[in-house]
Amino acid sequence: MSVDLLVIGGGPAGYLAAERAGHAGLKVLLIEKENIGGVCLNEGCIPSKALLYSAKIFDYAKTGKKYGVTFDLASIDQATVIKRKKKVVKTLVAGVKVVLKRNKVEIINGKALITGRNSEGFVVNCNDNEYIAKRLIIATGSIPVMPPIKGLHDGYDKGFVLTNREILNLIEIPEKLVVVGGGVIGLEMASYYNSVGSEVTIIEMLDHIAGQTDKEISTILQKNYEKKGIKFNLSSKVVIIGNDSVSFEFNGEIFEVPATKVLVSIGRKPNTNDLGLESINVETNKQGAILTDKYMRTNIAEVYAPGDVNGKSMLAHTAYREAEVCINNILGKRDIMRYNAIPSVIYTNPEVASVGETEESAKEKGLDVTIANITMKFSGRYVAENEGGNGICKVIKDNKYNKIIGVSLIGNYASEVIYGASLMIETEMQVDDIKELVFPHPTVGEVIREALFAL
Amino acid sequence: MATVVIMPRQGNSVESCIVAKWHKQVGDSVKEGDLLFTYETDKATFDEEATINGTLLVTFFEEGDDVPVLENMCVIGESGEDISSFASQKEDDISKKTIVQESEVKEQVVETTSETKADTTKISPRAKNKANKANVDISYATPSGPKGRIIERDIDILIKEGIKVTPAASETYEQGSSYEATGIGGRISTIDLERGPISELTDNKGDVISEYEEVKTTNIRKMIAKAMHNSLATMAQLTLNTSFDATAILEYRKMIKANGEALGLSNITINDLVVYAVSRTLASHRTLNAHNMEDYMKLFNTVHMGVAIDTDRGLMVPTIFNCDLKSLDNISIETKALAAKCKEGTISPDLLTGGTFTVTNLGALGIESFTPVVNPPQTAILGICGLETKVKVVNEDIKAYQSMGLSLTIDHRAVDGAPGAKFLKDLCANLENFAVLLAK
Repeated sequence: MSVDLLVIGGGPAGYLAAERAGHAGLKVLLIEKENIGGVCLNEGCIPSKALLYSAKIFDYAKTGKKYGVTFDLASIDQATVIKRKKKVVKTLVAGVKVVLKRNKVEIINGKALITGRNSEGFVVNCNDNEYIAKRLIIATGSIPVMPPIKGLHDGYDKGFVLTNREILNLIEIPEKLVVVGGGVIGLEMASYYNSVGSEVTIIEMLDHIAGQTDKEISTILQKNYEKKGIKFNLSSKVVIIGNDSVSFEFNGEIFEVPATKVLVSIGRKPNTNDLGLESINVETNKQGAILTDKYMRTNIAEVYAPGDVNGKSMLAHTAYREAEVCINNILGKRDIMRYNAIPSVIYTNPEVASVGETEESAKEKGLDVTIANITMKFSGRYVAENEGGNGICKVIKDNKYNKIIGVSLIGNYASEVIYGASLMIETEMQVDDIKELVFPHPTVGEVIREALFAL
Repeated sequence: MATVVIMPRQGNSVESCIVAKWHKQVGDSVKEGDLLFTYETDKATFDEEATINGTLLVTFFEEGDDVPVLENMCVIGESGEDISSFASQKEDDISKKTIVQESEVKEQVVETTSETKADTTKISPRAKNKANKANVDISYATPSGPKGRIIERDIDILIKEGIKVTPAASETYEQGSSYEATGIGGRISTIDLERGPISELTDNKGDVISEYEEVKTTNIRKMIAKAMHNSLATMAQLTLNTSFDATAILEYRKMIKANGEALGLSNITINDLVVYAVSRTLASHRTLNAHNMEDYMKLFNTVHMGVAIDTDRGLMVPTIFNCDLKSLDNISIETKALAAKCKEGTISPDLLTGGTFTVTNLGALGIESFTPVVNPPQTAILGICGLETKVKVVNEDIKAYQSMGLSLTIDHRAVDGAPGAKFLKDLCANLENFAVLLAK
């Protein structure tokens, strides 16, 4: 069988690329080894949001008293939570399949192996069949990094050590959960299991949580969670994973924390092994990431690599855009991938959202900036809905061009507000022009407007 | 008294001319003989001079405008004179144009400087009006008028193509510089500005030098482009190459050159000799001295010879009317006169049409053979090539001689290859026996 475009991987990058290409009239074949929707839909973004929403309702029930509402018998039923999560995933996966079908994308379930190229195109094997493709999109995503810690692999085999995949299917709430890695995935799962009753300990190698997030905001988030009972061990390195404990080193000393389950969430790496990339000489870096240019092309003509597999941003929404850039360039429409206005969100309670530069990154780059740092209490709705809320909003202005280059905020609805800031950054609107925008009142998003006038 | 200046009619076939340049601005004083404006027809450029003294009170058209002939172009008179009666026929143009006098010019300058963005922007009132109506920011327009002035067509392009620079980048973005646009929607962003222009290279001294120079396509060039493309796109052109022994015409030329002055003849060139021979040979090859009208052919009874002339502005083809009835000397004199006018740009457009056959000459540039492009609706064009030394066997001796190439392109829709070849054969015979041809 010969196709115009063969997509390997049915996650956000792969399915969107297939969908767009099919829509444009290309003959498209999509090969997925597990589930359409990839990690995002099946064991990442979406199921974690389903869980976190249950936790949020439970949190409301527990804290309702502050707002004059009392729930005496609030309890969480983990089995129902997981069941509902599965329903959410099923609905969305079915939706993606329908869209693919509507765009005449052929889907094959199996493992793809690139075996070389002939005069017709690239040769890909799957389920003992051979497919020839004029163009190739490699969107095989990423896998969790499993560090060589003593006891980690044994623990994983025994079901004591979990990754994002397994932790989303736990029927029993672990009494003591140790989270190795305080990044987005670790924090979201810590947040959920903290809310539903686990005793949660986070062990993080860096001196702060939440990766690249603004330091002041990650500190506020940490304080919020310390208040809720999560224990943080920063600047700490896990050395041994035992049968019912995790040992880590801090300041030269070894500490041990008891654990019922251990979540390993120290990061993800591009999934490029056993794909046959070497058969067509696709170039990768040391981490296994496929090297791409601004048009999402690899070093081999007509081979593209959107999504986590290129290791650039590792976010589903980045993958969507990268996939579109691929397809536009395949269709002859010049399109360039930009990474400077990609928002990122942590769906903790409170939510954290940011886009563009942080105070730290702007200073590191030596940019001439003005920073507005205001309390979220400038938003009437935030005050009305967040008893004792201590969120802040930071807006960073580039003085040279009088434009916004970064916005970070912590407080619920931040996730829904941040795209507005992305828009300001992406379109390079002038600050004076943005000030003329009318925001709906009362909303949490108004805080950005207030920050603009505080610049 | 105020006097109106109209767009002159240059030849009967010209309906409109393009204003290439205003040499005087409104408010300037004008003396008789001063250049007022330069205008272009399809093929030639003309200058219009003032015929009276006074002040240029108003202009009705801008540079780049296509103006119907006999239309009012401007008014010359005394400052303060009532000139409303000279309004151009195009009412809407006039309503947009205020009649500006010197004092008002100053006022207008003051007015524009009060706007922050406009103080460095030169823009014509008409363009400004249009920009205001369409609500486009003139700072995004790429000026194409003289001295970086924004004129109407720049606003038209801006309205049509939209803004190509992000708001934040627009303040620093320099018009004319070329940046890679990586911003949203293909706009130039501040990130692109930080990277610097892509077209700029630096020379050894570190000064910025441009990678290329943009030269605006002249109207003449556009006309040539259109004609050439049309010719090749619509015809079935076939080129036949041959050569003849040029000994006879070279001898003849030598003779004329040595004695021409004494005989009162002009400096007759090889080209003139070939033109002469062609005009005489065509009489018995009428399908080549014709216009192909598709449904019928116009077979001409006389030869109106188009002679291709290379000028600085581009290729021009003036016509020697009734060439077959003119003497060699007359042909020579007329060709020189036409060529001179073409080079000066003062040729009447009427002399650039009406040809029934065309001769083009690249021989002086050493071309051995080429494929001339037929000038429709003509059916053929003869290319004259350079002289080459060849050898031939004469009475068992090898003899060197000067050979000249001829390249005949015919419209195969109208003429087949064989009639074309027969014409060449006859032409060669006539050129090789030039004295006999003269006697005919």
